[in-house]
Amino acid sequence: MTATKPKPAAGQKPGELVEMAWDPITRIIGNLGVYTKIDFANRVVAECHTTSSLFRGYSVFMKGKDPRDAGFITSRICGICGDNHTTCSVYAQNMAYGIKTPPLAEWIINLGEAAEYMFDHTLFQDNLVFVDFCEAMVKQTNPSVLARAEATAAPGRDIHGYRTIADIMRAYNPFEGEVYREALKVSRTTREMFCLMEGRHVHPSTVYPGGVGTMPQPTLFTDYLSRLISILDFVKKAVAMNDDVFDFWYEALPGYEEVGRRRVLLGCWGAFQNPDVVDYRYETMSNWGRAMHVTPGIVVDGKLLTTDLVDINLGIRILLGSSYYKDWVGEEEPFVKYDPLGNPVDIRHPWNQTTLPDPQKRDFDDKYSWVMSPRWFDKNSGEHLALDTGGGPFARLYTTALAKMVDTPYVKSTGKSVLISLPKSQRLPEMTLEWTIPRWSNALERDRSRAYFIAYAAAMSLYFLEQAMERMRGGDMRVFAEFDVPDEAIGCGFHEAVRGTLSHHLVIRDRKIANYHPYPPTPWNGSPRDSYGTPGPYEDAIQNMPIFEENGPDNFKGVDIMRAVRSFDPCLPCGVHMYVGGGRTLKKIHSPMFGASHG
Amino acid sequence: MGEIRVGDPDVELDAPAHTKGVEEGNSRRRRQSGHHDDGTADARRSTGIRPKKHDPILPIMPNLPPG
Repeated sequence: MTATKPKPAAGQKPGELVEMAWDPITRIIGNLGVYTKIDFANRVVAECHTTSSLFRGYSVFMKGKDPRDAGFITSRICGICGDNHTTCSVYAQNMAYGIKTPPLAEWIINLGEAAEYMFDHTLFQDNLVFVDFCEAMVKQTNPSVLARAEATAAPGRDIHGYRTIADIMRAYNPFEGEVYREALKVSRTTREMFCLMEGRHVHPSTVYPGGVGTMPQPTLFTDYLSRLISILDFVKKAVAMNDDVFDFWYEALPGYEEVGRRRVLLGCWGAFQNPDVVDYRYETMSNWGRAMHVTPGIVVDGKLLTTDLVDINLGIRILLGSSYYKDWVGEEEPFVKYDPLGNPVDIRHPWNQTTLPDPQKRDFDDKYSWVMSPRWFDKNSGEHLALDTGGGPFARLYTTALAKMVDTPYVKSTGKSVLISLPKSQRLPEMTLEWTIPRWSNALERDRSRAYFIAYAAAMSLYFLEQAMERMRGGDMRVFAEFDVPDEAIGCGFHEAVRGTLSHHLVIRDRKIANYHPYPPTPWNGSPRDSYGTPGPYEDAIQNMPIFEENGPDNFKGVDIMRAVRSFDPCLPCGVHMYVGGGRTLKKIHSPMFGASHG
Repeated sequence: MGEIRVGDPDVELDAPAHTKGVEEGNSRRRRQSGHHDDGTADARRSTGIRPKKHDPILPIMPNLPPG
């Protein structure tokens, strides 16, 4: 079992289970539902299932298409991080076509992706996550915590300017709070930065295999730089506010570290290629993977198992068990028996996967989701690990910190922390922020790391800008490499979508796509129980989780469960309908878009 | 597709972009004006109107034509 072991049930009262469901809990690819049984007597979640009721079928309809179109088609998988798919597809295609993006184009893609991280994390953190932590929400769910927040001074007051923790929480109130409104402006600026580099948000128009269509010129980079400097004040303040609020939460609600907690089982597939090293050949993937500016890796119980992309690639297994699909093993021939290094490739690897949908009624004891169960096979322990991404930034910072490979003037990994230096900005002086590896993998730490990763992306983009401008001033304007589509080839791309690991696996036959499997982060996080019975990360994190909300079953909002699921950044949370067992349905519209109702 | 009933595929590949003999954007044979083999570019990349007049005035200056 890779799941967190349940705590001993000492001193528990016999509780009455109440079924509660939130479906949809988010806007993730249409539908993500969380179905729980809550034991109100013991204030704990007894059982949890996560389900998706939407079949996408990208792997089905990509077959037979021109591989050059893959980046444009797969971008449409997501309406918020589509560019991560384009970039990942381009990485996979580069490998298949045997080409390398020119260095200046690589810096341009890195700058675009950094802007995407800054944009998306800001929008999600300040406009969606903090709706669950704002004054209006806490007033309804935990009035005693709010009273305490009014009397608690904020340690970072000199940086962000808010006197008490309650003042910060008021600034998070949807539509009315200062931070909420400022975050919207920052999202706009970062989106402009993205569009400078990749042409259009969120489906890029200038990112192709072989390079970019962005015209390099001095104003391209200075326009980006001036926007970046203008948001640095916000980034520095956001980190201080996040630290204050989350530290307060641990203090005010002892035991809150258990909310959304699971074993440290993290996967990060690496981001920001290093053009001096990367050549997109599979044979050298271990080297250029380690040269990335966010180190790929797998962390189990605080230990780094590997940073080798070849190991990571070969360990990926797509398990069924609770998903509405027929097994392809024994039905279909493998597409790739050996990788280019001669290693055997498993039939359950995405290169060999065939999607055979088998729709049926939802049954929580049997099959209940359209999401498959991606797992990583650890050959040392023989376990199929249900890795999560920690919402993206948590795993990225964790592996980067442990691997001690990133060393740039602005970001340094120390082996136990990541140092992020940001220059002087409009109001605040030069600052060095340090993200240290926390004791737990839980909801609050996932949320906290998001603020730090915005700083990480901002600092990294300063480095990318310097490198790009130096190259451009030297007269190197090449941003595109020509290529021919081969008759037969395979490729894989590894990248980080905003909310975590992203891989694209591609097989070309007769110059057409024979097999294509994108694996974004949410199938990893939101996967159902696999064929070994191991629950997916959301289920694992929510099961046995204590409830801190002061409301009883009648006006229960489920805010602790929301915080746990949303800490994984399951794309955009929106309307939540609540169902209380016994046939009574409480319809509560819990939508950050209509924040006035929270007041 | 398992046992799901699906219709006949009625979508064709985008013909002009994928017809033999038609030059493609990624083609190795394609030449683009203003782009040099060594990775540098000149003003012809940005304009067809008297491009030489828009090149830098001294050889030590990098040629940075506008997009």
